[in-house]
Amino acid sequence: MPDVTARGLRFHVQECEGDGPVVVFLHGLVIDNLSSFYYTLAAPVAAAGAHSVLYDMRGHGRSERPATGYSVQDSVADLFAVLDALGHDRVHLVANSFGGVIALNAALLRPDRVAGLALIEAHGPAERSFWHEDLLNTLAKSALLLEYERTADQLLDSGQRRLGRIAATADALLNGTTLMDDLAAAEPVRPAVLAALDRPVLAIYGQHSDVADAGRLLLRHVPNCTLHTLTGHAHTVLQEGTAEILEVLLPWLAHHAAAPALAGAAR
Amino acid sequence: MNDVMSEVVQMLTEVVGEDFLLDVEVGPETSFSDDLALESIEFVALVDRLRAHYGDRVDFPAFIAGLDLDQIMNLTVGDVVEHITAREEAHA
Repeated sequence: MPDVTARGLRFHVQECEGDGPVVVFLHGLVIDNLSSFYYTLAAPVAAAGAHSVLYDMRGHGRSERPATGYSVQDSVADLFAVLDALGHDRVHLVANSFGGVIALNAALLRPDRVAGLALIEAHGPAERSFWHEDLLNTLAKSALLLEYERTADQLLDSGQRRLGRIAATADALLNGTTLMDDLAAAEPVRPAVLAALDRPVLAIYGQHSDVADAGRLLLRHVPNCTLHTLTGHAHTVLQEGTAEILEVLLPWLAHHAAAPALAGAAR
Repeated sequence: MNDVMSEVVQMLTEVVGEDFLLDVEVGPETSFSDDLALESIEFVALVDRLRAHYGDRVDFPAFIAGLDLDQIMNLTVGDVVEHITAREEAHA
């Protein structure tokens, strides 16, 4: 089933069949989409017995790109609407990078529907309001370059189709939607709120990650949190540390989702 | 061009759009990454169409799961056609 309609929008969905617990994958921002999980964790998690669900968030990948509705609250509402459309009630969430903000807020809003969280290089936990200044600055610079240097057209004209298309998607999101403004307004998940999160959390961060502080806050404040640090890695652990993530993730899912078959499948 | 080959090319056209494919002559040696410059999300969409068309007996998710991302992107159109043909013969 490649597409579902939720909140009036068309979402691109991929599912890898399994009889076990439902595991939903939440990708990162702008140039990311469901393919980063499709080629790394989704198939091994499904092969181990879980039911993997992946979708492209609004504006990303092959989902519809409306001009508005990119707040964290909208993204959380999109998640539950997609799950409603698919008929999934209680799920585990696996999130990468900014997907972590969506996962944390979803678990805080609907703990009855989120059984556990695996957060890979997740943004979100922070103690101060201007928590994502670096991320916003990076995106703002990209937005200007894409608009004034016509990066996408230049790449496409020079025959670099893949990069050109990625740049065109980034341009459309950063310069053609409210995503930047909506992101700027996003609040961090503060320590007092983390302390109230009564769901098991597996936090996975690279040793040299620029968001490692978020991992330390999760470990310090979430009552039931395990932190795994990947030695020698930075932010891109999903692609570069896939095997090591699976060694940690599959036993963790097996334990918390009460699906023992998952534990033996780590490779 | 054999039947499976022309079906795969048809599905590719649906995924990437006709304009682009007019510039590239697709044959068994054509690679998804270097020659077609497919985005990884477009390959996901192609696999989806292959799955819908040939059914579970071709088992693309398992075929893909056995490869890493570099291997997947280095696949040629011929590799995919060969996989389909072999699986179809196994079930014939």
